[in-house]
Amino acid sequence: MSVLRSFRATDMFTYNNINLDVWTETYNPGFYLGYLSRWPDLCCVQESPRGRMMGYVLGKAEGSGKPEANTEWHGHVTAISVAPEYRRLSLARKMMTLLEMVSDQSYRGYFVDLYVRCTNTSAIEMYEGLGYSVYRRVREYYGSLGVGKGGKDEEDAFDMRKPLSRDPGRRSVRPNGRDMLVSAHDVP
Amino acid sequence: MSSALDRQVRPIYDALDTGSNKSALVACNKILKKQPKNVLVKALKALALVRSQKVEESLVLCDEILASKPTDDGVLSAMMHVLRGLGRHKDTVQMFEEAFKKEPSNEDLGNQTFLANVRAGHWKTAQQVATKLYKQFRKEQYLYWSVMAAVLQANDSATPANMRTMLYQLALRLITSSPNPSFNQADRFHLHLSILRELGSYDDALKLLDSEIGKYICAASIVCNEVRRDIWRAKGLLQEEGKRAETLIVEHNDRNWLELLAVLDATFASASDLAGDETRKSDLVAECLRVQELLDSIAAKDGKSDRSGPLALLELEKRARQYGVSTACSASGTDDGRIVELLKDYFGRIGDKACCYEDLLPYVLLDGELASQWASFLEAVASSYSPQSDLQRLINCHKLLRYSLQPSEVTVEAELSHADIYTKHYLEGVQLGKNLAVTDLQPADDLAILAGHAFVNLWTMTNEEKYLYNAVSLLEYAVARSKPSFRIRLMLIRIYRLLGAPAQAIEHYRAMQIKQIQNDTLSHFLLSRSSPFSLAATGDLTFMTEHIESSQIYLSNTQDTPEYVVRAFNGEKYSQIPEFVIFENRVECSLQRNIAKLEHTRMRLGFDLVSPEIVDMELIDLKFIFDRGLLQDHFDNRDFDVLPNYQPCSGPSLNEQTMLFGKSEGQGWLWSFLKVYIRAFQHASDLDDTVEEKLLIGDRPKATEANSKPLKERLCTRSDEELSELTEDELTFVRYADALAEWLEPHHDYVRPPPSVVLAEAAKQTELKTGHPLKGIEIPTTNGGSHKKDEEAPPVADPPALVTSFFENMTARFAQVKSGQSPAAALYVAALMQEAFVLLMLETFRFKSNSVVKIHKLGNLVAHFKPIKAQALASIKDVAEQLVKMSESEGTADRRKEIVESCAQGSMKELDHDFILNVAKKLSDSRKVMLEGFGKGILRVVAMYPN
Repeated sequence: MSVLRSFRATDMFTYNNINLDVWTETYNPGFYLGYLSRWPDLCCVQESPRGRMMGYVLGKAEGSGKPEANTEWHGHVTAISVAPEYRRLSLARKMMTLLEMVSDQSYRGYFVDLYVRCTNTSAIEMYEGLGYSVYRRVREYYGSLGVGKGGKDEEDAFDMRKPLSRDPGRRSVRPNGRDMLVSAHDVP
Repeated sequence: MSSALDRQVRPIYDALDTGSNKSALVACNKILKKQPKNVLVKALKALALVRSQKVEESLVLCDEILASKPTDDGVLSAMMHVLRGLGRHKDTVQMFEEAFKKEPSNEDLGNQTFLANVRAGHWKTAQQVATKLYKQFRKEQYLYWSVMAAVLQANDSATPANMRTMLYQLALRLITSSPNPSFNQADRFHLHLSILRELGSYDDALKLLDSEIGKYICAASIVCNEVRRDIWRAKGLLQEEGKRAETLIVEHNDRNWLELLAVLDATFASASDLAGDETRKSDLVAECLRVQELLDSIAAKDGKSDRSGPLALLELEKRARQYGVSTACSASGTDDGRIVELLKDYFGRIGDKACCYEDLLPYVLLDGELASQWASFLEAVASSYSPQSDLQRLINCHKLLRYSLQPSEVTVEAELSHADIYTKHYLEGVQLGKNLAVTDLQPADDLAILAGHAFVNLWTMTNEEKYLYNAVSLLEYAVARSKPSFRIRLMLIRIYRLLGAPAQAIEHYRAMQIKQIQNDTLSHFLLSRSSPFSLAATGDLTFMTEHIESSQIYLSNTQDTPEYVVRAFNGEKYSQIPEFVIFENRVECSLQRNIAKLEHTRMRLGFDLVSPEIVDMELIDLKFIFDRGLLQDHFDNRDFDVLPNYQPCSGPSLNEQTMLFGKSEGQGWLWSFLKVYIRAFQHASDLDDTVEEKLLIGDRPKATEANSKPLKERLCTRSDEELSELTEDELTFVRYADALAEWLEPHHDYVRPPPSVVLAEAAKQTELKTGHPLKGIEIPTTNGGSHKKDEEAPPVADPPALVTSFFENMTARFAQVKSGQSPAAALYVAALMQEAFVLLMLETFRFKSNSVVKIHKLGNLVAHFKPIKAQALASIKDVAEQLVKMSESEGTADRRKEIVESCAQGSMKELDHDFILNVAKKLSDSRKVMLEGFGKGILRVVAMYPN
């Protein structure tokens, strides 16, 4: 139960309760404006009935070549975050649903993908619950942390995907994705 | 470009890209030696010069290049950067306009001209250029550009109200003239709908919306749907909107709260003036019951996965009660208790989620019997849960009970027991999270936060500082176990400032890693009224540095944000553009920006010796803020909501309670201090408006009717509203400053050299520096440097009492606040005395020179300064010594013991003794450093002005 609405440039003034969380990065304003100036329909906000920001998602459409012609054209979840006090309310699920719907209907993408730290098991489980599966493991995607307690899992990312309606044959996913290793240089 | 030249120019670009301005400059000069007329290289040289801060030299080149009216792409883009660096946005626009005029068939130049206007926010010209482009090149995009520009011009705060409608009408005419309908693109459609909404042409809008494609767009595009919602509402289609929403809720499982609200709005759409009309009343009851059933079914269906149903039931009941009916009334007559039943039910379902508290706030303010029913329910729940059994429910119970406390229930005794229970439960609850990772938040945090609230409340009730010691001890304990808890840190920052221990506040502030736009929205937590905490005089520049760092965001906003507006135009994302423009403007004209700037100036004057350079620079900066403030209101972007607040709703919020000196600075505070400083700097400076006009580079706020009153007059006008934002001591300071300025102003005006002399001197300096004369300035022939005026010198008056008695009064005031527990108040009085002293130096700066005194026969005036200064020095030194003396009682074993012992009541006893001792040590040490440093700093500041 919350208001689902579009992300606006002025939301940057009030997203502190979300962004002060350690796992959420605050980028320069240009980062957000860049997304809004290209894919405004893939950026949305959940707001509490009292008007506080609860969470947001920023996404984009990408892939090589013409959208109609190839199976690499897809929606991508760049950032998704929910303020600590509003977790466990399925907010992420709702924002993802919207992003998938727009990626499917407006952008005619084949799939939606996202990157997640291999150690972030709770997030991975949530995405699996939403129909995502690991497509490949990207080595040293999160280079900044270095190898910490979690070993390689700490800096490697899973590239997770979910096929959309244009991919009824589910060609954009594969069952053994966790074993497919690529280096960070090979992904966009 | 010939390949030979390309080979030569490439390294210059590379050097500029990597920031090696010096080598870029060398390379430019080398080519210019052989090809002195190469405009591109000149432009690049100008850029290298600007970037190496050699502004005067670059100006010369810049004007030369602009005079040649370049059309070459490379030159134009280099010049764009040069002019941006110089803040000459108007010149950029003009440059492109000239180029386009020269080559009217060059579409790219036209395009650039439009975008240059966009960057500068010149919507009117932008609109004209776009129209021209559309006529000439017949691209539909240009038509939409012109529509958007017209809308932006209408929205601009400088546009008079009567013009707005005309501009929207123009936009509408243009958009309907489009060969292809707007619904070909969602963003064009959005623009079209927004225009119709603004003009109130709802029927036309509905026609568009009712089309197949209109419906399709709104289903997929949230932004378009938002406008559609507005239009339906404005047209009064509440019933239709309700039906639409109901379909979405039932058939598509949509749980957007806006849809649920739409259903409720429809339910009560025709419910006004029901009194006496029984038929309509029973209709309403029937409708309420129908909706209630619907919501019940949703609630049952969703179970725990979504809280829309139960919350909407509460909202339904709340609204029904407003109309004198209840959703339970048909079943059992009038049933007032239903709201409590619903609250209980909601708590039962959602009580284990943190948001339950916030969700219920609008519904829990009940009267009489209902209130006590609800309270006893919560009390029962609270006693049946323990942190181990259900932590979150317990927390929600505590919060809700606290929220509804009546003033009579908030006694010292009650708060002591609340604090004790919260602490006890916290200490039990925190055990549950012992094994969490360091990056995790402790689920029990909110109990420590609640205890902190109770302690702060106790402090405000008793004025006993020991409660703040308890608050910091417990909160430090909690944050050590929950490192990412920014909410605890924000509370600590506030409390440490109250305690006069800014070093601790900084530590927590830094731990939050404030960056980017947060420097605008959150820096107030640390930087608000921070000048009494600055130890700049002793060489500790921490606070001044924080100020400088936090101001970077404003530069990057000016530089970068317009580029994204340009991108949005290029990508035709019209739905975003107005918001981008608002964002840019809100950051540009941010209240916090200017408050922080002024605070920095105040700190700076306790560090830098007053000199003509500082005086002129500060004057220009502050006047810019002041003048623009008349054209454009400030925007308060400060985020206060991020600070937790669980205080009883009948009393002040935590934010209000923990504000340093109990007051927040707003526009009034800003205006009050700006006037003090602009006036003082102006007195000390030789720059007047005509000189500034000639010497300054970059665009300045234009004079309009609003600020056509002379600056002098505006500076002297003070309103009670503005002054009400000052603390008592600040007000005394401002009164002193005004009296001082009033007294000396006639003499400054008399002695200040005429503009022609000042300009001549500036021209001389520039020529010495750059080898070029200053453009556009005729140097008058002076006769020997003396510029004595013909008119008679103003009579010398005795110094006003407000000036002569200020320092003595403030010393008395200091003695008064010194006995208070926190040193913060004493520090601020001392800081204001230091500030007043520097202001005195600033105001008498001009009369320092013996020749000035001699020529203008100011001996009598200057004779008055000496006793004032002597008195000031005596008072200030006394206060400084007292501060140092005060510092001696801090950082001692006794002091630590006192703090530790005051934290040994009730459940607080459970806290690790060594931990509290450490908190006490840091707190007291920090105060010691602060008091001692400030006391010694004051002595250094006054020593900077030996005579």
